[in-house]
Amino acid sequence: MSMIVIEHLARVEGHGGITVELEGDKVTNVKFDVFEGSRLLEPLIRGKRYDEVAPILSRICAICSAAHTLTSLKATENAFGIRVSPQTELLRELLFRGESIESHALHLFLLAAPDYLNYPSAIALAADKPAAVLLGLRLKKLGNLVQETIGGRAIHPVNAVVGGFGKVPSLDQLIELRGGLMQAAADSDAAIDLMASLPAADFCHSETLYAALRSPSVDSYYLGDEVMVVSNGNRAIIPAADYQSLTNEKSVPHSHAKHSAFRGNPFMVGSLARLTVNPRRLTGKLAVAMKRLKLTLPADNPMDNNKAQALELINDLQRALEIIEQLLRDGIKDERSMPVQPRAGTGTAITEAPRGLLIHSYRYDADGCIVSADVITPTALNAASMELHFRRAVEQCAEKEEAVLARRLQMIARAYDPCISCSVHLVRR
Amino acid sequence: MSKPTVGIFGLTGCAGDQLAILNCEDRLLDLVALIDVRDFLMASSENQTDCALDVALVEGAVLTSRDAERLRAIRQRSKMLVALGTCAVWGGVAAMDRGSDRGQLIEEVYGDVGHGYDSTHAQALREIVRVDLNITGCPIEKEHFLAAIAALLNGDVPAYPEYPVCTECRMRENNCLLIEHGLPCCGPVTSAGCDARCPDLRVPCVGCRGPIADANPTALLEALEQKGFDRRQIAARLRTFAPEGVA
Repeated sequence: MSMIVIEHLARVEGHGGITVELEGDKVTNVKFDVFEGSRLLEPLIRGKRYDEVAPILSRICAICSAAHTLTSLKATENAFGIRVSPQTELLRELLFRGESIESHALHLFLLAAPDYLNYPSAIALAADKPAAVLLGLRLKKLGNLVQETIGGRAIHPVNAVVGGFGKVPSLDQLIELRGGLMQAAADSDAAIDLMASLPAADFCHSETLYAALRSPSVDSYYLGDEVMVVSNGNRAIIPAADYQSLTNEKSVPHSHAKHSAFRGNPFMVGSLARLTVNPRRLTGKLAVAMKRLKLTLPADNPMDNNKAQALELINDLQRALEIIEQLLRDGIKDERSMPVQPRAGTGTAITEAPRGLLIHSYRYDADGCIVSADVITPTALNAASMELHFRRAVEQCAEKEEAVLARRLQMIARAYDPCISCSVHLVRR
Repeated sequence: MSKPTVGIFGLTGCAGDQLAILNCEDRLLDLVALIDVRDFLMASSENQTDCALDVALVEGAVLTSRDAERLRAIRQRSKMLVALGTCAVWGGVAAMDRGSDRGQLIEEVYGDVGHGYDSTHAQALREIVRVDLNITGCPIEKEHFLAAIAALLNGDVPAYPEYPVCTECRMRENNCLLIEHGLPCCGPVTSAGCDARCPDLRVPCVGCRGPIADANPTALLEALEQKGFDRRQIAARLRTFAPEGVA
């Protein structure tokens, strides 16, 4: 028996590794080991009042902290029957887009691009190709500016609260943000140019199940009440409240992240899944970019998630601008957050975090304190699918040379943009 | 002068403090020209994992025996060890209730499979090794990180506020959320340095930077009790980010 071991994955968030066992040329075992410590946040928040929940659970992950915050708020609002204003909905969507811009720019240019160009890091890449790194940093900074303006802070936003916002951004702030987004048009084109110039990553093909929120509107896809699973022309719809029939989580000995499977099959969430489930927005500039990136849907190559992120990046920039223009057209109102009347009951929210489906589900008592909480994150949902794709990559590699395989496996892992802190979360059984 | 050698490490946490470093977008390339980053797993796949370091920046809390081993190894190879962020300085959110039965929580979450997991209760870095500098915040303010690097490059140590969030909040001329609005604001006992970000947005302070040295939590507990809050629940709130914060 031989083994390929990647002890500690680099250029990802958190602590994880990969182990592949081979008998001759046959793959006998594949493990995505997550040894990130378990913080046990879900049981620790039992008894916490509703206003403490989002600030604590946002700490599951910094890179996805806006998504955790907004998903948490929506779950709490669903439990209490609170409907937020249309302005709040728009501002929240803008915050989601800001986070996605930051996250995708960080991932594509600082973490993934060095792989394609054979550099160990963006720091090394910057020595030879500063333009690529500076482009990523500019886009990342713009995403952070959106998050700071709307959420009050780039990491762990503080301004979004149950029922709305502490303080809505001023007209001047929105105008400044619009200016920044308009100036990013050239960078948006440059991002596609850069991604289109990268060498092909063609070493893993697999029929893949994709799961994403089905958006009721063409414009936005962070909201929706149904998850759609797409595979080889087949479709299944799962209402938000039945999320457990999608996830079927189970603990595994080698990983602190639980594994999910839909009807026994691993599935992939994230950018590629979102575009596969919601192709309607892929027109105009996005359709042209898609052609340049040579992306066809449904894809059978997990590396295409990087291309999908690039498309989402330019879509996010465009959508953020649309939202600001609508806010300016409607006139930004200095609204206070909705009054909160706690009541006993449950609330579930499913959104699309930068890395895919994110689920928060809470049970509250009559005083508005947490009885139990369940959080399911995209990287945990992806764990089984990552293992499947690792296996396919090893099977499809003719020479089984360790260095080649190790590089490919790491590239696949990074294409999933895993957020390992997120994946180690605690779920009640 | 040769460039100081630096390592940036994450133990168990959300990676927010390493991300705050990466969020210094305008300064990042200047920064890597001034310091020699030898070991930074989150950003690089080629690292020198054994070399001596002038400065180690460590974020996250210690939650596994593997974390503790890594931290001891980092301490051994570093002249100066900096605790980066509330988890490293205070234990952070994972340490909010250290009295609870860890084995039971693990079982509740993972079932029987969880018995084999490497899991300890959350500890701050200084509970395991000597720490030379604390930069608190959840996450750290990136300006505090840059100030620390600038000071260290000049053979100095940075100074951070030693007064409560209330002082900064007053300087921004905000109405008091605690006294005037009866909201459970942790500002009076929480370390400043955030420019009172939350109360300035009409959102009560959650205490994410950890307590100030001369905090008077009893007075805050009494004030909130008079406003009708449950004393035990408020005490738990004050412990959210730092287990020994108060009461």
